[in-house]
Amino acid sequence: MATIREKGYTHWDGKLTERRFPWWPITRTGIQLAFRKKRFKFVFAGAFVPSFAFLASLYASERLEDFKAIVQSKEALINITPKYFNAYFTLPFFLFLILLVLAFAAAGLIADDLKHNSLQLYFSRPLRKKDYLLGKMSVIFFFVLILTAVPGLVFIIFKLIFAGSFKFFLDYPWLPLSILGYSALLTVFFAFYVLLLSAWSKNTRYIMVLVFGVYLFSIILHGILQSIFKTPFVALVSILANLRQAGAFLFGQKLPFAVPAIWSFAVLAGICVLSAVVLNWKTRSVEVIK
Amino acid sequence: MSIEVKDLSFRYGKIVALDGVTMKLGEGAVGLLGPNGAGKSTLLRILLGFLVPERGEGKVLDYDIRRDQAMIRRSVGYMPESDCFIAGMDAVTFTAYFGELSGMPRQEAMKRAHEVLFYVGLGEARYRLLDTYSAGMKQRLKLAQALVHDPKILFLDEPTSNLDPNGRNEVLELIRDISSNKSIQVLLSSHILADIESICRSVVILNKGRLAAEGRMADLRAINYSLFELRLKGDGEAFRRDLESLGCRVDEKEDGLIKIYMPEKSDRMDIFRTASRTGVQIRYFVKSQTSLEDLFAGVVGVD
Repeated sequence: MATIREKGYTHWDGKLTERRFPWWPITRTGIQLAFRKKRFKFVFAGAFVPSFAFLASLYASERLEDFKAIVQSKEALINITPKYFNAYFTLPFFLFLILLVLAFAAAGLIADDLKHNSLQLYFSRPLRKKDYLLGKMSVIFFFVLILTAVPGLVFIIFKLIFAGSFKFFLDYPWLPLSILGYSALLTVFFAFYVLLLSAWSKNTRYIMVLVFGVYLFSIILHGILQSIFKTPFVALVSILANLRQAGAFLFGQKLPFAVPAIWSFAVLAGICVLSAVVLNWKTRSVEVIK
Repeated sequence: MSIEVKDLSFRYGKIVALDGVTMKLGEGAVGLLGPNGAGKSTLLRILLGFLVPERGEGKVLDYDIRRDQAMIRRSVGYMPESDCFIAGMDAVTFTAYFGELSGMPRQEAMKRAHEVLFYVGLGEARYRLLDTYSAGMKQRLKLAQALVHDPKILFLDEPTSNLDPNGRNEVLELIRDISSNKSIQVLLSSHILADIESICRSVVILNKGRLAAEGRMADLRAINYSLFELRLKGDGEAFRRDLESLGCRVDEKEDGLIKIYMPEKSDRMDIFRTASRTGVQIRYFVKSQTSLEDLFAGVVGVD
């Protein structure tokens, strides 16, 4: 071990300031820490595969002439409409990829702090509980938005570029808002969902399993209840079904289940409220000094 | 006064943790002593603003503990007892991170992190992942993060736990340097009486949520009682009973050494008179200099 006092202590002559966004260093550090994990980089890159596939389909839909050699039809290969956007954003595989990214990047956001007792270090700083939680949530906001809102808006821009006209935008001027609304819904829901589980245990691997386990269990439970009760209302137990309902509503499409969309919104909001209660309880300042 | 509390009370449900504690702490290093459950951690929690006192008021550096929690936390450096770090980080990033959370500009925090890490002896290991740090290195790291924003007061909770004798001496030397040469006040909570005795000029002893003793170490040693050490020949039971009836506290060590804590106003000759009356011979008698251990035993009533 190095000898102590290699250099003397000097006072710092700067001035501590009150930050406008005190949660920002937590967010920035959370994102940086995620990218330090080698496996995460592969998962994150892989999560953009559906986006590239969608982009390719956009190109194909507008540049039919480029594919004349292989396609004889005069009809567009793919008809890009809000329905197509809805199908993309509510695709189970796409939602699974978001969960995969979050499992690697966010499962340990609170769990690691609980495991390594670092909550007391955070709260011995001029930081409120809401700053801490907002900082952690913003890490999830970043990753979900970069997988949903950013590609969604890029798709629209490329659609206009490939088409060479604003017709698509004029036909569906509300589509960017639908994309932003649905992205915001996914972002907020997944932020609460993942942080709820992250605050549940100190074991990050266990939480990674829980992130998928709870999601998949709700889908399986939906299937079982559906076969027993044969009513569309059992779809409310499934996270995936509720997200698909909300997506269809926001993109102005026919709902996949014969249940009012407001019920699905209520279920998702309920999970968020439950999460907020658990987070508030788990990060009580009373517990920060043992 | 840097820390001042008045009639501070707090309870966890029905359990009284602090009961009407009033004290004023001045400059320099102050030791916070007390047996488990005495209220030391609760006092620290209240001073840091984690808990709102049920009754009473207090100030840290003239900031009200109820209203100005953010200002207090900006001015205080806290080194917790338990190991705490962030997995996947190196020491520089970790220390700078907490500097930034304290309100330092990012670049300044990074520069300052290098300085304090060198100061605590982690200069060469500052780019190593914290997951690979030994217990002693983690202890120094906690001190570094507490110092990074150049606090006016340091709250140190068991700073020498998990350290080997060499590491303990080095950390104690650091704390001594900080408290005596750097105009940073230190509030040192420790179970190791020798640590407090070697660093602190003043001490606060809590017992069962109440203030048992407070003041400069030298004054506390001088007042309240005189300590005598003696060895006896004969049955000491009656001797012991008689002295206790005179208001003395008598402790017998395993090696037969008897410590008598005598009220200050009592006459030492009472010991000899009691020995004569109860038929025991005093074979060894010395007036002892009271240690912090004796003081602690005297006011708290435990060894």
